Amino acid sequence: MTTDRFLRRSGLLSVAVFVYAVLLVPIVVIILTSFTPRPFPTIPTRGISFEWYLALLENSQLIGALGVSLVIAAFTSVTSGTLGTITAFGFVRSDIPYKETLSTLMLLPLMISPVITGLALVRFAGQLRIGSGFVAVVLGHTVLTLPYVFLIVRAELVTFDRELESASRILGAGPVESVFNITLPVISPAVISSMLIAFVVSFGEFTATQFLVSSGTTTVPVIIYTMTRSGLNPQISALSTVLIGVMFVAALVSGLVNR
Amino acid sequence: MIVKNLPIPKRLSTRMTSRTLVVIGLGWLGVFFIVPLLMLAMTSLNLDGGAVWENYAVALSGVYISAIVRSFYYGLVTTAISLILAYALAYYIVFYSENERFMLGLVILPFWVAYIIRYLGIQLFFSPNGPFVDVFGSNMGLLFSTEGVIIGLTSALLPFAILPIYNSLKSIDQELINASYTLGAGSYRTLVSIIFPLSLSGVVAAAIIEFILATGSFLGPALLGGPGNTMIANIIATTFRAGFNIELASAIAIIYTVILTTVLVTFNSVVNIGEVLSDL
Repeated sequence: MTTDRFLRRSGLLSVAVFVYAVLLVPIVVIILTSFTPRPFPTIPTRGISFEWYLALLENSQLIGALGVSLVIAAFTSVTSGTLGTITAFGFVRSDIPYKETLSTLMLLPLMISPVITGLALVRFAGQLRIGSGFVAVVLGHTVLTLPYVFLIVRAELVTFDRELESASRILGAGPVESVFNITLPVISPAVISSMLIAFVVSFGEFTATQFLVSSGTTTVPVIIYTMTRSGLNPQISALSTVLIGVMFVAALVSGLVNR
Repeated sequence: MIVKNLPIPKRLSTRMTSRTLVVIGLGWLGVFFIVPLLMLAMTSLNLDGGAVWENYAVALSGVYISAIVRSFYYGLVTTAISLILAYALAYYIVFYSENERFMLGLVILPFWVAYIIRYLGIQLFFSPNGPFVDVFGSNMGLLFSTEGVIIGLTSALLPFAILPIYNSLKSIDQELINASYTLGAGSYRTLVSIIFPLSLSGVVAAAIIEFILATGSFLGPALLGGPGNTMIANIIATTFRAGFNIELASAIAIIYTVILTTVLVTFNSVVNIGEVLSDL
């Protein structure tokens, strides 16, 4: 029985290692190839080089796009965080007909392919005379990230103890004041976490974004995609590693906030 | 910090009911998502001249219909492979791992990294200068091919399959498993008759999410497929961006969405999609 369990355990362990490899090797390969001293993206075996990172610094178009991406992601996380929290509040606290169906509607942007969302929005922005560019991208990213904020904040509000709010009301605070002083601080880790997710999703989104950017307002993922079309080089890896860095910082902050 | 005496007019504060908040959220999504989608549907019907169903006739023929069929085929294969891998890993994490938190953390980690970067990582892995070719001498046709796309989709979407299965395995009452052993069932019998049936909700959830995301993928085939591996998303993008034919692109998008919705509604009678996504 114990040998049987040992065999099964080691069999499962090797499958687990394989699955982890499938999950993580792509990220590891990107990071390693960014340090290669050779002119094509190989895993460095003899010595590492930072020349591809230095090359990034000299590329003013890239630095510009990085700034644009960060600003778009920041705007998205604020609009999506606000709207998603408001909507989650409404859904948890009210008795409306067809509540389940309507909340599934809030999740629709996760189910529709982002290509279709992008196409629909670029058409819409054109007819509203917004055109492509900054506003269109932020609108698109807000649509795409809204479901995440909604899901996370709703889950948090469902478990929130409403007695705390009642206590605040009994002590003389108004309903809105109670929400701002009691409820929001209690659920804030979830809200912050969901906003960080919105930030990261916006920061890395390509599929819908490719329709919405203008030549003056390009984001980093769009540049990465364009670069891959003209052949692989270590500079793409370096740029991707910078993005991975930003995303990991967001993940880390989210982890710390929710401890 | 205490917020006090907010300058909110009495009239507004009595009107700001929870229902108003729902209206704000749904209204916003309606204006910036539902309306644009409906306008796309109208565009596909050639309302400003031309035969109404013309774009649909084109979209259901030639390269377009094959891309549509291919997408659902790739979606099915990816879902099947992902379910097997995800189940094995989730099972290992729940029943065998020493440090569950850490193991789960490694699954969630790729969630934070953009798709485009992870697909690119796979392309680099199989590229002529990449580690796979270094070891095996060639990439064995695993790049810019059907296999490449399937590997890419599986790798990129796997966390979406692991998490719901993990949650369902985690919520199984350990007493039931102990009872099965006490009554004389072996570990295989326990897995088949107790654990698997009880985790089925997670498996179905994983399958639905995988299928939706895989069939609608743009970057998978764009970065890892060859010219013969284009899927619906790529065809839509090319038709619009290179062919400037938004009417046809819209028709393909509508056909795809209708087929996918039909599949999902059929499933929705078995499981609630809203609950499935809330599981994440």
